[in-house]
Amino acid sequence: MKLISKYFNLLIITLLITSCSSDDSVSIDEQKPTISINYSEGFPQACEQLVKGETYIFKAQLTDNKALASYSLDLHNNFDHHTHDDQGEVCDLEPIKDAINPLIYMENFNIEGGLTTYEINISITIPDDIDTGDYHCSYSVTDETGWQSRTSVDIKIVE
Amino acid sequence: MLHRILSLWLCFSLSSTVFAQNSFQIKGSIVNSNTLQPIEGANIIGESLYAISSPTGTFTINNVAEGTYSFTISHLGYASKTITIKVGPNMEELKILLDESTIALNEIEVNGKTKKRVNKESPVVSHVVTKEFLANNRENSLMQTLSKIPGVSTIKIGSGQSKPVIRGLGFNRVAVVQNGIKHEAQQWGNDHGLEIDQYGIENIQIVKGPASLVYGSDAIAGVVDIQPNAIPLMHSFSGEVNLLGESNNDLLGVSAGVQARSHNWFYRGRLTYRDYGDYKVPTDQINYENYIFTLHDNNLRNTAGKEANASFSLGYVSDHITSETTISNVNAKNGFFANAHGLEVRTSRIDYDNSNRDIDLPYHKVNHFKISNNTSIALDNHTIQLDLGFQNNLREEHSEPTPHGYMPTPPNTKERGFHKNTFSLNVKDAFKPNDKHNLVTGVNVEFQDNTLSGWGFLIPEYTRFTVGAFAFDQYEINSDLHLLAGVRYDFGQINSKSYFDWYPSTINNTNGSTSYVYLQRAQDKTLDFGNVSASVGLSYILNHTTFKINAGKSFRIPLPNELASDGVNYHMYRYEKGNLNLDPEESYQLDIDIDHTTKNFSIGVSPFVNFFENFIYLNPTSNYYETLQIYEYTQSKVFRAGGELRASTSIINNLDLNASAEYVYSRQTSGPKEGFTIPFSPPLSGLFSASYQFKDVFFFKQPQLSADYRITAAQDEIVPPEEQTNGYQVLTMSLLTQLNLYKTMNPLEVKLKLNNVFNTKYYDHTSFYRLIDVPEAGRNISIALTQTF
Repeated sequence: MKLISKYFNLLIITLLITSCSSDDSVSIDEQKPTISINYSEGFPQACEQLVKGETYIFKAQLTDNKALASYSLDLHNNFDHHTHDDQGEVCDLEPIKDAINPLIYMENFNIEGGLTTYEINISITIPDDIDTGDYHCSYSVTDETGWQSRTSVDIKIVE
Repeated sequence: MLHRILSLWLCFSLSSTVFAQNSFQIKGSIVNSNTLQPIEGANIIGESLYAISSPTGTFTINNVAEGTYSFTISHLGYASKTITIKVGPNMEELKILLDESTIALNEIEVNGKTKKRVNKESPVVSHVVTKEFLANNRENSLMQTLSKIPGVSTIKIGSGQSKPVIRGLGFNRVAVVQNGIKHEAQQWGNDHGLEIDQYGIENIQIVKGPASLVYGSDAIAGVVDIQPNAIPLMHSFSGEVNLLGESNNDLLGVSAGVQARSHNWFYRGRLTYRDYGDYKVPTDQINYENYIFTLHDNNLRNTAGKEANASFSLGYVSDHITSETTISNVNAKNGFFANAHGLEVRTSRIDYDNSNRDIDLPYHKVNHFKISNNTSIALDNHTIQLDLGFQNNLREEHSEPTPHGYMPTPPNTKERGFHKNTFSLNVKDAFKPNDKHNLVTGVNVEFQDNTLSGWGFLIPEYTRFTVGAFAFDQYEINSDLHLLAGVRYDFGQINSKSYFDWYPSTINNTNGSTSYVYLQRAQDKTLDFGNVSASVGLSYILNHTTFKINAGKSFRIPLPNELASDGVNYHMYRYEKGNLNLDPEESYQLDIDIDHTTKNFSIGVSPFVNFFENFIYLNPTSNYYETLQIYEYTQSKVFRAGGELRASTSIINNLDLNASAEYVYSRQTSGPKEGFTIPFSPPLSGLFSASYQFKDVFFFKQPQLSADYRITAAQDEIVPPEEQTNGYQVLTMSLLTQLNLYKTMNPLEVKLKLNNVFNTKYYDHTSFYRLIDVPEAGRNISIALTQTF
């Protein structure tokens, strides 16, 4: 009996010590924003061919449960086949080659006003003096909490 | 034919008889003439003959030719004796009685305390890991072996590398100390291991709580203190060979160590080599951010590695001085998962699936050279401990050269090279003015010089100097009540060096023009840090129960990457930005430990409450730099609480049952991620172990079967960019036995282990590869053989 009461005391002490945690109910944002080009106006679609000198409107749809913060667009060459897109499509890649004067487009944009939906709308004229070939188009988006989503697609720039 | 065999047999038996007649065996035992207790370690020295008595006092000398011999038998504390014997047929076993030394001591007071008792009396909440535990639980890396201890876990990177995590805090918040010298290998980020050979370690003390008082900066969450091995017995030579084979990653490992001692001098040496292939995961494909990677034969491609370690030490021991100088080198090459190195998705023309043993790009190479001297001098009531150390780390990260942003295709594969030299000096004096006090004072000095190479930039070159002084007193209020109180001051200075990109970036100016600039990534900067740490604790022993309470303040000087990073981390596909205004982290912690142990039963609980004034972590912001998300080093207040429960019983003969549970609650209470937890928070987890000791069967001695069943809850507490992790249950079985192959040799120790018995697909929340949705390793059968001699 004495033994039992001793263990019981130990248990009580244990419970007292471990039960002090409280749950503060600061609501936190645990959802990532979404990004999609899978709708009729989404641009570019997988394996899209962009012609030099032409102007295109790059479009993607963004959503978030709380507030969107920024997005970016990155166009860079895939002459070395370093990665592929995440759209599940397999585009025919040209032979591997060295870059001479590739197109580099890297821009970041802010979304003001704490919107929960937004459509990216960027107008880009493909310069005439750049290398043609396989390119990558990567979109990314963050929300105000710092969650990020990305999507990327294989495209081609042609004469 | 029969004739031939018969004659051959005759020839052999005759010659062996002849041989037997010519050589004899001397057998005997040495006992104390007064108490008749056996004397271990006595020297039996004759002309060209030599033996040492065993723990039972016996000795054997083989192959002695017939004749008359004289021996001298000596042992410290006994008068030497010389005897003359006739060696021949029908010899009787000798019994030699030694008289205790004639140096008359009227009164001897023995004040020895067992290690267990010393630990009970110390208010510091710590856990002692024995060689036996390490041998029985050995996993692929030292920290994976230790993660069975409640409150200890690891951050894993692949199969062979891991970093210590104590109660959810890791990286530079846990100091790893080897032979008294802080092991400097943690500064460069999270994708590399500990650089310590896990073989040949006998004793580790794990402090689960703030320990800056003795260990200085970095010991803010705890310490893994790998203690020097015991000095070998006088006139002894021993050694062991360990062999290890694993099925999951086709690992083959061999380690061999020897140690010997003459009278005063001793040496130890060890060589270890491990070579392993890609490890297997129980899945055919990995799904990460819409990308799907199919795996060939379940191999996580390019995670093979190899490791070669060597160490040698030479020591001298006498009544007042013990000194040992150790030189060690750890060399490793490890591949990284090829499809998503860090967070970046890559395809490659390298034929990774051609072989599961080759190490292709990306990989890293590490070399850690260390030389240390530990000297302890015992004067009247002072014990002075001197530790001197030099460490040289070389680390190279290689990856396929790829242009990124404005960076053109780099000229070679060497993305980053780090070259770091660290000099350490510790001086400690333990002063026992009387039985009640043990006053320890000490100074730690460390200087670090880090230089860089390679085309990637993440942290600048820097030098770091730290000096700290401490004093603490362990006061025995009465034999069951002990108080420990101490204070420490540290000063640190970091000099970061400037760095400019090796390629120009395009800058669009506000006036419409474009310029091409070699961007500056780091500045020349000198930063000073000062900090006070302190600790006070009580330990009370009441029969079988030990109560400990300890309150402490610890600190950590920010790392150069936390202060001055400014660059693209290609592996993590993000832009990392340091903050020169970071203060040293300060943490306050209250620890309690209650342990109740009787002969057949033990239960313990060790809760803690912890508060960080300014926890440093890498915060994902909502901003971009050159289309990569900016992660910024930020400080916030953090509250943490949790603890461990443990219980064990051996009430049924031969059956040991163990249960333990660990839990940590963490909350950021300020800053941009207020309300979130901190990164890599371990989930609630419990471990149930049972081991049964069988009777000897045939030549299997002491077979022991054990099962470990780990149940881990889901981790819903996350902070960007982490993902929630489901709970899991995983079973590990092992069989330990000894084989008596040769009568004259020590038994061969055999360990058969089956990890992840059911080939369960599960994710470990604190695994680095969890970030890219790579599950833990699948079923693994391993065989470990240890032969001591």
